[in-house]
Amino acid sequence: MDDSSTTRRSFFGLSAGAALLCTIAGEEVRLDDPDAAGKADALAAQVKRPPGAAPQDELSFPTPEPQPGGQRREYWIQARTRRWDVAPTGRDDWHGRPVPGKRRFRALVYQLMQPGFAAPAGPALMPGPTLHAEVGDVLVVHFRNAAAKLRQALALHPHGVRYTPDYDGVYLGEHTRVGGFVAPGEEFTYTWEATPDAVGVWPYHDHGPNHTLNTFRGAFGAIVVRERGAKQPDVEHVLFLHQLLPPVTGLGHAFQAINGRAYAGNTPTIQARTGQDVALHVIGMDNNFHDFHVHGHRWKDAAGAFVDTPAVGPNETITARFVEDNPGRWLYHCHVFSHQDAGMAGWYMVSP
Amino acid sequence: MRLRTAAVAALATGLLAPAAAPAQEPSYPEPANPGKVAPAPSGKGKTRTVCKRGCRFTTIQAAVDRSRKGDTVRVRNGTYRESVSVTGAKKSYLELIGNPKHPGRVMLAGGGKRQNGVFVNGADEVRIRGFKARRYRANGFFLTNVVGYTVRDVIAARSGVYGVYAFNSKGGTMRDSEAHYHADAGFYIGQTPAQVKPIRSIVKNVESWGNPIGFSATNMRYVTITGSRFFDNAIGVVPNALDSEKFPPAEDNVIRGNEIFWNNFNFHAGAPFKPKQSGVVPLVPVGTGLLLLGGRRNTVEANLVYGNYAVGVAAIEGFLLEKNPQARALVGNVVRDNSFGLEGTDLNGRDLAYDGNGTGNCFGGNAGVQVTLPEDGSTLAACPFAGANAFSADAQARMTALAGEAAVGSWIRHPHAPKPGFEPLELYKP
Repeated sequence: MDDSSTTRRSFFGLSAGAALLCTIAGEEVRLDDPDAAGKADALAAQVKRPPGAAPQDELSFPTPEPQPGGQRREYWIQARTRRWDVAPTGRDDWHGRPVPGKRRFRALVYQLMQPGFAAPAGPALMPGPTLHAEVGDVLVVHFRNAAAKLRQALALHPHGVRYTPDYDGVYLGEHTRVGGFVAPGEEFTYTWEATPDAVGVWPYHDHGPNHTLNTFRGAFGAIVVRERGAKQPDVEHVLFLHQLLPPVTGLGHAFQAINGRAYAGNTPTIQARTGQDVALHVIGMDNNFHDFHVHGHRWKDAAGAFVDTPAVGPNETITARFVEDNPGRWLYHCHVFSHQDAGMAGWYMVSP
Repeated sequence: MRLRTAAVAALATGLLAPAAAPAQEPSYPEPANPGKVAPAPSGKGKTRTVCKRGCRFTTIQAAVDRSRKGDTVRVRNGTYRESVSVTGAKKSYLELIGNPKHPGRVMLAGGGKRQNGVFVNGADEVRIRGFKARRYRANGFFLTNVVGYTVRDVIAARSGVYGVYAFNSKGGTMRDSEAHYHADAGFYIGQTPAQVKPIRSIVKNVESWGNPIGFSATNMRYVTITGSRFFDNAIGVVPNALDSEKFPPAEDNVIRGNEIFWNNFNFHAGAPFKPKQSGVVPLVPVGTGLLLLGGRRNTVEANLVYGNYAVGVAAIEGFLLEKNPQARALVGNVVRDNSFGLEGTDLNGRDLAYDGNGTGNCFGGNAGVQVTLPEDGSTLAACPFAGANAFSADAQARMTALAGEAAVGSWIRHPHAPKPGFEPLELYKP
């Protein structure tokens, strides 16, 4: 294996159902068919543990502690594979029709665990558990690579929060730091700081040697950082917009998904009541831009302008926050029509 | 809990003993670095069947000797008077399968010079399931110098040292198993090498009773003990720091969601084994649920702790360390959200005891706490806590006075709540 090439890898998602191209471990893989993802996995399994840091990478850093008044917020999270049904009801509730074709594939997802990985503390889902912190806190994330069947290293990479290189959670070939290569069965504890400039909602995702494919198949979640003492919305949801393409899933056609599910009735059905403070955090988790639209509602964007269909790009977050004043059954969806029609839509139910 | 001296004052002699060669016990291998896990075999291995009559193999050892990496040895019901040895990387991923539903029907019988029921050395990811091992000179099931193992659905009874024992190993699983009437500990994980990205060991749904120590954990790391029951031992669970093994102290363990009760077995007054007269075993404070003897970043949470006459959960400086004094201090241990005294129906003599040694140790959210040592709770910092704890020399002296059988004289007895299927064991009656 050419070590220098192990760091060169990229995917290009052209469009729904189109080819993906992946370069990993010195080989270019055209992900035109289901077997190609397996080949990418096999190549990822060949990536050796980085031998050691280069001199410039040998800086050492203290593990951060909470600021005065802050807390250590500990999470135990494992990555594991599981069979995943893109549309468990088998129906598109919006159009009142069955979802055609096969719907199940092997996903890579995160699962919240009890301390010590004693037992699951929640289901293994797309997205993984949402991590919460307030300014001054540190997030202490005990991460375990329990995806033994994939036979490849993983890493947990956060956005938004502050971290030292050890806790970056990224595979960098021979420059990889300790947290960037967590082999099957291993654990690593990441410590991330909720600094004042970390306020917001951010994704985390796999960033190991095969991170693009792994992220495409479900290895992502969200971090919510608030100001200290800030009020939590009455209704709060994180919605990941992403595509599940045949080269990744091995299924017969592409699904445009929200939190791993496609078509209304399978995607999250959001419930609210009139007068409630509602926050919908929307994160793009594929190679596309999406337009997030909620029928019957509008809100201010970061610049203060009223919007009802803002764009959200890869690993970008937009938040729709408003006081609910319009009861009824509403649709929310991506307004890229080809995405909407392939499943990227759901119900928003507002009670008086 | 390997240490052989007669009393605390004379511990130095024992601390200088070789790490893995207890004098009264048959030969132990020298610990080696377990290294990385052996690569998994490709393809499906062969299966060899062992039975008393009509099979190609009539001894387990013969089948093991013929097996290669990834093979399976199936053992039919019967009594096998042998010590099974699985040694070397070429035996990695070997599966030994008896009768998981009725492990007592596949009996590994000790006696004579037979040391271990099953002994695994240097073979990674070996799986042992569905056996009972009894009356071995040393251990029922013993794994050392390995990366990964699974011991499941086994019963270990009446062996000379430990029931199920993993030493100098990285990662592994002990579950759905029982150990009773051993001369030292029912279950034991010791001398875990420190790891930056550790491989965790899981102990789940095990039952240990009738031993001096239910679960011993000398210099143990990265182990989660959960969903298990430790009862009718002299002491239930003991993460501890000793010089007699490498890498003190015990670190980064999670003991969560267990029942730790009725650990009042005074084996000094009679036992179905020959009680050890030297080492640490005679020093364990009879009547204790859980003791942190030194240790760093261990978490004891969400356990039910009741009916232990000396103390439910105790933490004390690792004062037995002489060669590694830097590892004595308790650091960052958390005792939280445990429930003591079974809602007032089965009280501990004392619920919490802590000498206040070390830094960053805290006690929070524990329900049912009625009696502490010290009585004013001055050492019991609430969680979260940073900085130096409030050390109390008096508390430490009073806790060390509870060592060994002397603890019986300081018991605070309470009646036990009835527990169907369980009987309190204080004095052994043959």
